[in-house]
Amino acid sequence: MSVNTVPCTVKPTVTLQIGDAETDSSRPGVYVIDVTLPIGQTVNIQEISFKNYYTAYVSVRLLRRDGEGAAKWTTCLRNHCLMPSPHTEEGSQDYCSVYRQQMLIEPDNVTSVRLILRQPSSAWLNFSVEDIKIHPCLNEDSEWDIPDWLSDLTQVDQLCDLQGLPDPQTVSSSIQQMWALTEVMQTNQTTASIGRFDVDGCYDINLLSFT
Amino acid sequence: MAEKRRSGGTSGMSESKPTKTDTEREFLSQAGVGELLRGALLKMVEARSEDPMGFLADHFCNQASEAENGTGGCCSDGDLLNLGAGAHEQQQLSRALWHLRLAHHSQRSAFSNNVRVAYDLLTQTGPQRRGAVGPSGPAGQCSSNSPGGGVRGRLYTHTLQCLCSEGGVPVSTSAPLLRRLHCQDHEAVPYDIFRHGVLTCAVFSDYIRRAQRLYAEVCGPAEGPAGRTLCLAVLGTLHEALETSRSNGGSSDANHYSNANAKANPYLEAKVSRYLEASAKISPGKLAQAMAGAEPAGGNMDAKEFEDAAAELFIARVRVVC
Repeated sequence: MSVNTVPCTVKPTVTLQIGDAETDSSRPGVYVIDVTLPIGQTVNIQEISFKNYYTAYVSVRLLRRDGEGAAKWTTCLRNHCLMPSPHTEEGSQDYCSVYRQQMLIEPDNVTSVRLILRQPSSAWLNFSVEDIKIHPCLNEDSEWDIPDWLSDLTQVDQLCDLQGLPDPQTVSSSIQQMWALTEVMQTNQTTASIGRFDVDGCYDINLLSFT
Repeated sequence: MAEKRRSGGTSGMSESKPTKTDTEREFLSQAGVGELLRGALLKMVEARSEDPMGFLADHFCNQASEAENGTGGCCSDGDLLNLGAGAHEQQQLSRALWHLRLAHHSQRSAFSNNVRVAYDLLTQTGPQRRGAVGPSGPAGQCSSNSPGGGVRGRLYTHTLQCLCSEGGVPVSTSAPLLRRLHCQDHEAVPYDIFRHGVLTCAVFSDYIRRAQRLYAEVCGPAEGPAGRTLCLAVLGTLHEALETSRSNGGSSDANHYSNANAKANPYLEAKVSRYLEASAKISPGKLAQAMAGAEPAGGNMDAKEFEDAAAELFIARVRVVC
């Protein structure tokens, strides 16, 4: 689970009910949560993570912006089960993640995410998902700059005109050992000082400073 | 001295001739033979000398003379100490050198232990002189702070000289190194500096031996001296590698690495990338390239000059003791 998250706004839940909301006293079984990105920004989603709170099934729809600029809603996850049995506790408060690989379509250039939550059981007073985070794809290429010397490696076999020259393998081995010995010496240097107070080899009183 | 001890031992044994095993065991535990042998065996395993008999003989010889000096050191006979001081110092020096020779510097913990033992041995010459009346007055001052206060500068410099010459390094080659490491005769050398100096000399002797072998390799099967440009090309690659892996140097590519896993320790990551880069500069391919690029003309370089040039690369990176 990567640490990078995209800043987004989670809108308040909307309930979907049959009948009039004011007169009907039964509790809703479907909630819809919209998550929007700041205007103009799009994201290639790697992962959507959230904390479940007694939601049984979740569907995910994405608002994607294609090449021409038109926005289109598509379903990327259909009825994903979070609780194996809606009446029981199992899976009710789990931390869940929906990965790119699980989605039906490529979640690229997404401007908005809609989570549709369903809880068919009447056992629970309330249900929702909390702490929704959207994780973008990491661009692997920009993080890894190949240094120049890696592409500059030469093979011994490529150089054929080694007549009369000493064997590069043995010479290289000796040079490597000499380099390693020098490094050993350098890493074991001490910063301790013997505590001399003389300047240029003499203790002339005029040279002593008062700092 | 060895014979005297042996005869003393046998005479003791003949007096109380044991017939039962219990008295034998008692005698051995009283004499502390178990400890002696255990110490000898441990030292032997650490040193892994090729001559076990000689090693054990040296070890017991050292132990015996140390035990003698331990009891006789408290006497306040100033004149006797004065006369024996020089010889005593020489003895301490040879014993310290014996300890330092036991383990190779690559056996890190064994080598450190031996350096500690040698340091303690050499600092013991300090309290001995407390009773001296002669012109070696300042010696008392340096030992008055603590038992020893440190190794005397002269003794320390002498130790380094012996280490270098025993390692097969000619005096002229080791002179510039000793100029960086030496201390004034009257100074008291603390343990850190002593260890630094000893380790540097041990590593330097290995380095010079390698350089001598390298010269033989560069000469190749031909008996004559090697070409100057060829030698300089080979040493040039070493110089480049050392420049690359220097602590405060290195290529700018090291800064571009931003791997999330290593963010916790950027210093270590930069060091590793510098080492990798330096090692790429002394790969067989790179050396073949450097050697092929060396012009055939330009005179020859003899073994001594090559050794001095290689030594210079090492010595330039040794921190001056100050």
